[in-house]
Amino acid sequence: MKHYRKALYASVVGLLAVGVSACGSSNNGGSGGSSNATPKLPLKAGENAAAEQIYGGKKGGTLNVLSSEDFISQDPGGMYFALDYAVGYATQRPLFVYPPNSSDTLAPDLATAVPSTSNGGITDGGKTITVHIQPNVKFSPPVNRTVTSADVKAAIQRLFNPNVGNGYASAYFNNIVGAANAKGGPISGITTPNATTIVFHLTKTDAVTVLGALSMPGSSPVPANLIGKYDAHAPSTYGTSFEAFTGPYMIQNNNGVVKGVGYQTGKSMTLVRNPNWDPNTYASSAYKPPAYLDKVSIQIGGDPNVIGPQVLKGSDMAQLDTPSKSTVHQAYTQYPSEIMFTTAAGDHYMTLNNSKGPFTNVNLRRAVYANLNREAIIRIKGGVLTGSPGTHFLTPGTSGFDQAGGYAGPDYPWNKDTSGNLKVAEQYMKAAGYKSGKYTGNHVVTIVGSNNGADELAINQDVNQDFTQLGFKTHLIQVDQSVMYSKYCQVPKNAPDVCPSGGWLRDFDNGLAMLYVPFDGHAIVPTNNSNFGLVNNPQINAAMDTARYTANPTANAQAWANVDKLLVQQAVAVPEDFDIQPNIASGNVRAVDDIWNEGSIDFAFTSLK
Amino acid sequence: MLRYITRRILWGIVLLILVSALTFILFQVFPTTDPALLRAGRNSNQADIQHIRVELGLTHPIYVQFWDYMKGIFLHFNFGYSYYSQASVTSLIFNRLPATISLTVGAVVLWVVMGIPVGIISAIKRGTFLDRASMTSALTFVSMPTFWLGLLVLYLFGQVVGLVQIFPGPGSYVGLTVNPVKWFTSLILPWFVLAATQAAIYSRLLRGNLLEVMGEDYIRTARAKGVREGRVIFKHGIRSAITPVLTVLGIDIGGLLGGAVITETIFEIHGIGLLNIQAINHSDFPIVQGTTLLAAMFVIVANIVVDVAYAYLDPRVRYS
Amino acid sequence: MSVQSEPTRGAGPEPTRGAVPLLQVEDLRVSFHTDDGVVHAVDGISYSVDSGRTLGIVGESGSGKSVSSLTTLGLTRSPRAQIEGRMLFDGRDLLTMEDDALRRVRGNDIAMIFQDPLSALHPFYKVGNQLMEAVLSHRDVSKQAARDRAIDLLELVGIPDPQRRVDAYPHEFSGGMRQRAMIAMALANEPKLLIADEPTTALDVTVQAQILALLEGLQRRLGMAIIIITHDLGVVAEIADEIAVMYAGRIVEHASAQQIFASPQHPYTWGLLKSIPRLDNPRGEELVPISGRPPSLINRPSGCHFHPRCPYVREAHKRIDPRLEPVPDDPGHEVACLLQPQVRGSIWRALQAGQTPAAARRLVEPAASAPVEATPLAEEAS
Repeated sequence: MKHYRKALYASVVGLLAVGVSACGSSNNGGSGGSSNATPKLPLKAGENAAAEQIYGGKKGGTLNVLSSEDFISQDPGGMYFALDYAVGYATQRPLFVYPPNSSDTLAPDLATAVPSTSNGGITDGGKTITVHIQPNVKFSPPVNRTVTSADVKAAIQRLFNPNVGNGYASAYFNNIVGAANAKGGPISGITTPNATTIVFHLTKTDAVTVLGALSMPGSSPVPANLIGKYDAHAPSTYGTSFEAFTGPYMIQNNNGVVKGVGYQTGKSMTLVRNPNWDPNTYASSAYKPPAYLDKVSIQIGGDPNVIGPQVLKGSDMAQLDTPSKSTVHQAYTQYPSEIMFTTAAGDHYMTLNNSKGPFTNVNLRRAVYANLNREAIIRIKGGVLTGSPGTHFLTPGTSGFDQAGGYAGPDYPWNKDTSGNLKVAEQYMKAAGYKSGKYTGNHVVTIVGSNNGADELAINQDVNQDFTQLGFKTHLIQVDQSVMYSKYCQVPKNAPDVCPSGGWLRDFDNGLAMLYVPFDGHAIVPTNNSNFGLVNNPQINAAMDTARYTANPTANAQAWANVDKLLVQQAVAVPEDFDIQPNIASGNVRAVDDIWNEGSIDFAFTSLK
Repeated sequence: MLRYITRRILWGIVLLILVSALTFILFQVFPTTDPALLRAGRNSNQADIQHIRVELGLTHPIYVQFWDYMKGIFLHFNFGYSYYSQASVTSLIFNRLPATISLTVGAVVLWVVMGIPVGIISAIKRGTFLDRASMTSALTFVSMPTFWLGLLVLYLFGQVVGLVQIFPGPGSYVGLTVNPVKWFTSLILPWFVLAATQAAIYSRLLRGNLLEVMGEDYIRTARAKGVREGRVIFKHGIRSAITPVLTVLGIDIGGLLGGAVITETIFEIHGIGLLNIQAINHSDFPIVQGTTLLAAMFVIVANIVVDVAYAYLDPRVRYS
Repeated sequence: MSVQSEPTRGAGPEPTRGAVPLLQVEDLRVSFHTDDGVVHAVDGISYSVDSGRTLGIVGESGSGKSVSSLTTLGLTRSPRAQIEGRMLFDGRDLLTMEDDALRRVRGNDIAMIFQDPLSALHPFYKVGNQLMEAVLSHRDVSKQAARDRAIDLLELVGIPDPQRRVDAYPHEFSGGMRQRAMIAMALANEPKLLIADEPTTALDVTVQAQILALLEGLQRRLGMAIIIITHDLGVVAEIADEIAVMYAGRIVEHASAQQIFASPQHPYTWGLLKSIPRLDNPRGEELVPISGRPPSLINRPSGCHFHPRCPYVREAHKRIDPRLEPVPDDPGHEVACLLQPQVRGSIWRALQAGQTPAAARRLVEPAASAPVEATPLAEEAS
């Protein structure tokens, strides 16, 4: 959901239409060029995963980070926001992680290995996961003691406590035995045979999903003997009044008290070394944080237009949230070594109301799909540096992306032409029963878009035109972005026919994390709904179900690719782009960015030159 | 006089209650994102959202929420807790207030020092090149929007981002007690930005007033008495001309203490203004209520002070 | 000169005639350059005042009466003003004096009081303070001494309870009290010449009389010269020794007060006299106003500047500009009019008898006007 992306404030405030396509001289892609090919940009290691050097830096120094947006939560069990993750992953150790330069291959963090059927970690056809954890990981002061499996169990259990307010546990961990009615108390399906082993018993063959979900911060251990005290408060005070850290860094704290010490709301966040962290407690060379920096000092607030030049012209600095468009332009043209573009950054799509109105007709949806000019939308946003045309709903870097057709996408007639094809559209209009190729019905199509910034308005106009071209009469409503969500698109009762500003960001590498909530009928809820299109297609629902419970990882990826193809085949929504996320750092900063987290800077791997 | 002050203070309290009520109503009427949704996170389930709503007291009918809120403020001086960070609003406000006060005080001193002499000299040397030059530059500064001037000044003289890197850049503000030198240097550019427009306004205002006053009969009388010209200008002329300027000054100070949003954002000074804008972006109603009331209180107090001061400055007002 | 608690008994009320006048104005011209043109505010006037004597200058607004007095004090000096002529005060030419020397004359040797005492006193300072300022600007004395002097002055001008009143603000005084205070302020340094510019215009009639009486009394006690400027002939009737009538920046008639009232020579003066209500005029007799409005001082009428408004105008008067000349058989009486003296006399008698100006016009016969000496003047007329 767009609201929780780093991109929220910066990218939608587009006052400068960056005609970056004009700067395409060093860029083979150009603005209208081979639209389905991989964009060729002077990317700094970010896209080419293997090329990003994550080790080999110099120890020492303080990194000064600027962010115009504030953090939301420091509780590993509650955090669900890209900015929070940057701090969370540097200070906590979930069971598994994605290394900075990988978006689809898990590495063990707290665990000693990633469970699989071959190493015996996954058994019962995918219904049992056994994880062994590092024996000598310690909590930060004042807790100081060794982490045990009970602490991991406590962490997972509390995800179901309403006081913790976790947003994904019920989606991903619902198949753990005993989790269905859990409210923070013990879950029978999580067992700890010994201090370094934790076993998850699942009701279904959901191992692939659960494994991926265990890479989220929620699986970081919490002191089982202390946590109850903080979780008794509503909301829980863990993460503010007290927090214990296991990562290479910790939020500066006073005997565990974080708020007002290391974190000052709206002002600053300071990370210092965790004295109890042992660099030799990592099993895999794929992920072994070197923790070069001595300190990370984050300043919050401030104008993005000022932060950008500060970072680019200064030293020892990086920007945590999304740089403004003018900054991206400036960096790309004047400081190309200081900006990195990441493709595994989520997507945007236009949703169509599948359950009410004219778009219940699949051919009508296909017609609209065929006619949408995706290239134009990308141009409005700023061209090739901001994204490439979307052709399906899994994003680059996610397992199943290539199987679903890669950048070119599934091969359907309505998907072929990313700048829109009126002829193909008209064919499907006819197939839908409109012999003239134009809509002749009476329904006025309601389109609800955001009015935050010139870009959004332009996109709305563009989309509107693609509809009127097909003969639709439209009613375009443009409101504040938060109103667009809270009053229209997220409320099934008020759901309009078209929401041009749909989008999703994956939680981990699995089709479920990308496709379920937006497109599965079971995910529809009365408010705060993220299935804007109210897609409730039995075939799709069943396919998702099947894909989820495919225990073999390779087969799982293929199954989700099939779901993705099915979504395109059914034209449930119209992809707009695969986002590219920019991140900037000063010239003397050897920034290592997590390409699986929108390219956010990874404090545990970054160093100063 | 004492009765007058007491009456004004009581009326001020009534005004604060009205402002508080109005802010509350506006927040309910205008569509903002449900703060419970903001806290809940995406695809959270209904139970969680409802739980948060109960936590935040959003499930009570509006008039109950309102009554609880007003009681809290006016009886217990409790402004509630931020929806976003659960920090108490009063602690946040007190944490940010010194920065805003620093910004205000320095700017006021600077614009008084810049504006008043320029206004006086322009009036005395009316029509000369000096007068025309200062009034033209005053007009130029008055026309500059704060955000433009702020960015301009940064890109010219700020460290790291500027052309001629003299002054500390954005985000370098520290409290007075932390490092007085750094506190001072980091505020120079923001003070200038705030003061430039105001100084221009004040110089024009004073010039106009002074020119008008110098044409008054009592000036002629003073000269006819044989009073030295310097004394005529200062004791007779400026003394009259400055009175309206001082009252405007009082009100401007009151307003500025409510937070200079744009300047604080550009220079990343964590004052009330920046707190306010962050809170608005997060639909963090308790903070917005708190800062609004604070700003209203400053304005009300400033008005009372100015009215009392005016009675002191102009004897004709005292007995009305 | 030291400040004493009792005012000095200066020169007696009747100084020797023929002594050097205290103030002698010779051919004063004051013009102002404005965007609309040159304003000829004062166009060649001459008069003099002796110590202990009172000169009344009478005219409408725009006649230049105030400008000449302000020029005495140097208050008209500015880059846009052009001042010519001589103004000798105690032998020194005020027009050529340095600014600083002139400042020391102001409020010291020559003092001035103005029309509206409420606006002429600074509203923010106590009256006593303003009086003290008058003293301290010219005398090096202690604040306490100045304050004592202020209290004495208030008493001198007849303000009751001066010990308390000295700490009052101008707006706390009544109109008459304020004017008395103003007079007190002017007398602070025992000036030789007091110029009173419309001192009673803003006051009630009864208060007017009090103020005039006060001025007269002070003159007797202190022996100072007074110039009273007013538009109201009735005001100067009692108090002035000499009267100069001004019109359009010129003096059009100049005589002793007695002569002006007994045998006025200028039609303008007749107009002024006839427009004053008098107790000894028959009931039912209408007041005769002067028709028309004061002329523009930038573009003055040709010939005699009064001709557009004169009921007795003749063709020649529109071309010839009369000079101020003595009236035959009337020493000390001057008038600037082209009508023959006899004609003037008969017109006045007719007006006094109650005839209207229109009727009196018949008395103006063609043969009665004397154009002969006018030829050289014709070139002057513009």
